[in-house]
Amino acid sequence: MRYPHLFTPITLNKLVLPNRIYSTAHAEVYAEAGGMPGERYIKYYEEKAKGGLGLAICGGSSPVSIDVPQGSWKPVNLTTDRVIEPLSRLAEAMHRHGSKIMIQATHMGRRSAYAGEPWPHLVSPSGVREPVHRGNAKAIEIEDIHRIIGDFAAAAKRVQAAGMDGIEISAAHQHLIDQFWSPRTNQRTDEYGGSLENRMRFGMQVLNAVRDAVGADFCVGLRMCADEFHDDGLDPETLKNIAQIMSESGLIDFISVIGSGADTHNKVANCMPSMALPPEPFVHLAAGIKSVSKVPILHAQGIRDVTQAERIIANGLVDMVGMTRAHIADPHMIVKIRDGREDQIRQCVGANYCIDRQYLGQDVLCVQNAATSRESTMPQVVSKSKGEKRRVIVVGAGPAGLEAARVSAERGHEVILFERNASVGGQVNLAAKAPQREQMAGIIRWFDMETNRLGVDRRLGVAADAAMILAEKPSIVVLATGGSSHSGQVPAWGVAEGLAVSSWDILSERVAPGKNVLIYDGIGTHAGFGTADFMASRGSQVEIVTPDPKVADDVGGTTFPIFYRRLYSQGIIPTPNFWLDSVYAEKDKDGRDKKIAVLRNEYTETLEEREVDQVVIENGSTPNTELYWALKELSKNHGQTDIKTLFDAEPQPTLGQKLNDGEFLLFRIGDCVSMHNIHGAIYDALRLCKDF
Amino acid sequence: MSIQHLITLLFWLATATLLAGLWRRSQLWRQGQSADFSWINLLAIPKRYFVDLHHVVSREPFIARTHVATAGGAVAALILVAINYGLMLYWNVLNWAILIATAIMLVGVFFVWLRRRNAPSRLSRGAWSRLPYSLAAFAIGLLVLSLPVSVLAGSVAVLALILLMAGSAELALGIGLGGPMKHAIAGLLHLAFHPRQQRFNGKLSTALKPIALDVITLENQEFGISKPSDFKWNQLLGFDACVQCGKCEAACPAFAAGQPLNPKKLIQDLVVGFSHDEKSSHDKNSKGTDAKFAGSPYPGMPIGEHSGSIHAPIVPSLIEAETLWSCTTCRACVQECPMLIEHVDAIVGLRRNLTLTKGELPGSAPQTLENLRQTATVGGFDRKARYYWAVDLNVKTIAPNIPVDILLIAGEGAFDMRYQRTLRALVKLLKAAKVDFALMGEYERDTGDTARRLGDEATFQKLAKLNIETLNSLSFKRIVTADPHVLHSLKNEYAAFGGNYEVLHHSTLLAQLAASGQLKLGKSDETRKLTYHDPCYLGRYNGETESPRALLKSIGIQVNEMERSGMRGRCCGGGGGAPLTDIPGKQRIPDIRIADARTIGAEVVAVGCPQCTAMLEGVVGNRPEILDIAQLLASTLELES
Repeated sequence: MRYPHLFTPITLNKLVLPNRIYSTAHAEVYAEAGGMPGERYIKYYEEKAKGGLGLAICGGSSPVSIDVPQGSWKPVNLTTDRVIEPLSRLAEAMHRHGSKIMIQATHMGRRSAYAGEPWPHLVSPSGVREPVHRGNAKAIEIEDIHRIIGDFAAAAKRVQAAGMDGIEISAAHQHLIDQFWSPRTNQRTDEYGGSLENRMRFGMQVLNAVRDAVGADFCVGLRMCADEFHDDGLDPETLKNIAQIMSESGLIDFISVIGSGADTHNKVANCMPSMALPPEPFVHLAAGIKSVSKVPILHAQGIRDVTQAERIIANGLVDMVGMTRAHIADPHMIVKIRDGREDQIRQCVGANYCIDRQYLGQDVLCVQNAATSRESTMPQVVSKSKGEKRRVIVVGAGPAGLEAARVSAERGHEVILFERNASVGGQVNLAAKAPQREQMAGIIRWFDMETNRLGVDRRLGVAADAAMILAEKPSIVVLATGGSSHSGQVPAWGVAEGLAVSSWDILSERVAPGKNVLIYDGIGTHAGFGTADFMASRGSQVEIVTPDPKVADDVGGTTFPIFYRRLYSQGIIPTPNFWLDSVYAEKDKDGRDKKIAVLRNEYTETLEEREVDQVVIENGSTPNTELYWALKELSKNHGQTDIKTLFDAEPQPTLGQKLNDGEFLLFRIGDCVSMHNIHGAIYDALRLCKDF
Repeated sequence: MSIQHLITLLFWLATATLLAGLWRRSQLWRQGQSADFSWINLLAIPKRYFVDLHHVVSREPFIARTHVATAGGAVAALILVAINYGLMLYWNVLNWAILIATAIMLVGVFFVWLRRRNAPSRLSRGAWSRLPYSLAAFAIGLLVLSLPVSVLAGSVAVLALILLMAGSAELALGIGLGGPMKHAIAGLLHLAFHPRQQRFNGKLSTALKPIALDVITLENQEFGISKPSDFKWNQLLGFDACVQCGKCEAACPAFAAGQPLNPKKLIQDLVVGFSHDEKSSHDKNSKGTDAKFAGSPYPGMPIGEHSGSIHAPIVPSLIEAETLWSCTTCRACVQECPMLIEHVDAIVGLRRNLTLTKGELPGSAPQTLENLRQTATVGGFDRKARYYWAVDLNVKTIAPNIPVDILLIAGEGAFDMRYQRTLRALVKLLKAAKVDFALMGEYERDTGDTARRLGDEATFQKLAKLNIETLNSLSFKRIVTADPHVLHSLKNEYAAFGGNYEVLHHSTLLAQLAASGQLKLGKSDETRKLTYHDPCYLGRYNGETESPRALLKSIGIQVNEMERSGMRGRCCGGGGGAPLTDIPGKQRIPDIRIADARTIGAEVVAVGCPQCTAMLEGVVGNRPEILDIAQLLASTLELES
């Protein structure tokens, strides 16, 4: 028996679930106008059901009351009966595949930005401001309390009426219920403050009202934190106490445990542990709760691998494991396990592109799977073409080229993949060089295995030129030749003269890190700080300069705190708001060669100089277009991609044309067109090649 | 005395010798245990010879024709001699007839000789090698003597007479001395007194026979077969029918894998055992040895080191336990045997003694039997885990008050994630066909198939009785299973304990549903070259070879047959507890089977058995994909929807 513990069913109230893996409530940012789940939302979850998932809890932080602004993360709106119909379509879609679906319901209290529709005055037990969302709030009044308890009950009834399988009440991430629990936010002196019993009163009243509303047989769960990680916050012992009381209340059927509070930037980064954190960093906290709980304990956070999940369940640490990002990366994970195709699972690497987008108010997307949440147009399982078998040549084995080769091969075509370097991966290989970013290589590992499995003819270490490509008599050529370091953009930086080197030189170890270094980051994504960290870890004294308002400005809410932990602990000097104007050479007073970097303040235009041993430029990439121009006029379509059909996810019109002998279509994708990120490169490839 | 009278004398002398020899041989058979038989069946010999036996022999037309000429010519000649010389008629016209018969025989003998010149390794040498010459001597001698007297010179007649005498000795002494020609007499009698009489009614007879487990009623207080005299007398007779053609050897998967089993030698060793009578020897402890065996040895075991006698324990002095534990009970030997010998019954009989009396089993077999006794599962699992795979499929589980048309019994494969894919596919198909079915759920215990093949009749019977009790408390019309071992136990072996059910392999049921239009299948998008591997317990044990092929054809898949297929399919190595006893060989049986598939360039091997699936998927390296019939069928439903 394989994974005997993971595939032992579990019963929550009356629900029998086929396995111990579930998808936790998370903010999808997919709900349509008015907070209604639409086609995209339903298909996103249905895909997990098709993939064999037993239980999904959707709708992270779905508000029950109208005084919770919904603009910034587009949750499901549980405040209105209008939600029942779309939720029932969601439930029906899940049930069709044998899956169960619950939804999280909450009141966010102070954990919102008031400055959006309907511009409410936020409520919190004692009106303490929340820093992450700049959540100014008033002290909640008894009348508000009663209103909100009623809202919870009404929302639960709506969920039940929609045919959903259960409801999870959130008392995690410092929502209103745990704002009452936490001494950080509850300084009340009435019956809702002071003793633990008083602080728990509101939550208990909510659960009582919910249970009354839905009856004994409807599954109700509670999500809670197991340690706020604040000196003035809830500690594990108190939270175990709360969990024990809750589990013995008879009101709830499971507790979903999460480690860490979430009301400061640094704590948010714990909640969805990125690749920088160890695997399952907080399972011990959940196990502690399990030791006192009378109901099953569910836990997610950094569980990405099936054997890891099996071990956690087998060891009895928790009863079910949440593998949410794992399902965003591969919604067919369970069915691949069941089919003995674990090697084909696209494993989450913890890049946190998904959640970092959410913190920027953008829809959740996967860094490595462009089909996720685009199920209406993009296939999770690429089907074989019913048309002619084509000879497809892909040039460049970075993420765009790998995806193009993979998808073309899945379509059943004969695929040749040229790569100049000896191994596949392109710039991702550089990205994986940065400290605590090593798991970026996992993205490539999957493509490497898949292109091999699919029999792609991989010609590594071969720099293809036009003659070589034409000699192969292709019917389609996809150029994914990527880019080169754009450190030459400003001649005054002196890269050509050797006054400065590029981040690529450093990460690829072509150039050794200098002693006293200035890194100029003109881009603001992971590469600049990654290079700084790489060098600091090797003993360099590093100053990182950027014209952005802050260092690593474009990496998202769960990544910049991780970077800053390292920035401050490594003594890296952050210098935001400065441009690098020029670099020149000079000897210092002891006659040693030095570089002088001239910086200009964005806001005052003041110039400053730094005397360093090495200037490193991170300025993204500039497209490699040589091959494109060599082939463009030879190709039948002049290298043109019809963007209307591409954006509409329709087949390229040129694919329907008859190709005579020697004729071929030419497309280019990813960084060789203009600099995109990994997701952008993969999406370019998928949407183009899915119709080959 | 004229030559004619000499022939008459020779005829009666030979007849008397043969009868004396038969009496002597029958005394050896009678050392076996009593068995039900009917003298009337002697009358059935011609039909059984010309239909049942010929059906097997005719698979190799060359030797079938050779045998028709040789034996037909010889029998005709002997009958004519009996009339013309035995009754002292001495008609010339009959001499002409004898001449024709012997000429035909001589043609046959020529081909026997031809074949012996380039004999395949499966054929025994030794005494069998002289057969073309002794038969030729008989035929030539008789032919010459039946020529008109005038043309014969005296010396030629004498020479012919000597040839005839030599040839006759082969025939007359064969049965008494155990020479090659004993096969003629023992073979014919075996047809009459065969232990599985049902075989001659055009039906399969593959169920093992129960043994009594009440120790007090047993002689020697032993279970199963310990010594040659523990076999039924007609089993001993059957062993004597062996012609050492080695068809069994060529078919045996264990032999091919270099495991120490050769069914032909096993039968010959048993012949050595029961035909050596220690009482007639000076030494009370004397034993017959296998030294005279002139065929392939048990792989890895030299000939001449084993010996036995009628009342001496067979294991290990005559046959090593490893030989018995190498058998997969695939019945390929039985299927191939032109003399209809039942090798598997003999092996299981011997295993029963090792298991029930001595408790000696190799490998993980003891653990498996313990699992079966304690948990009623082969793997020692929690019984309720058997249907975990179905939790999300919304299928009902049977209960005493829930009548259904079809009860789905999953078998041990249900604990294995691989076979759960097959079962899920089957459920999908049954749903698509809108069949009223239910799962057996926690009620299901192992059928005891493995226990029985491993010789643990006690555990088998215990499980069988419990299962029958359960099944009889439930309300269903038919049983379907995706496991041919479950099929065989329930359908064929439970009847002896009062369990009579209509049991169908999933391929049989699905073929019925597809034929009636209740199950609407699409066309498969499978373009790879596919072959079908017949599970032994489905094909040879239950005669179902057509439904899987018909189903595959119906979804547009062409089945490319391997050399050994259908009723003559090669075993995957998974039956009879062989994967548990795990006797070492030179290679593994499933590797050989996959090589069969590779030989015809198959990229997919369709199967219909969890054991076959597990064994064939256990082959390492690049190999064809293994897919159950149900998986291939269910994938066409997806295309439709």
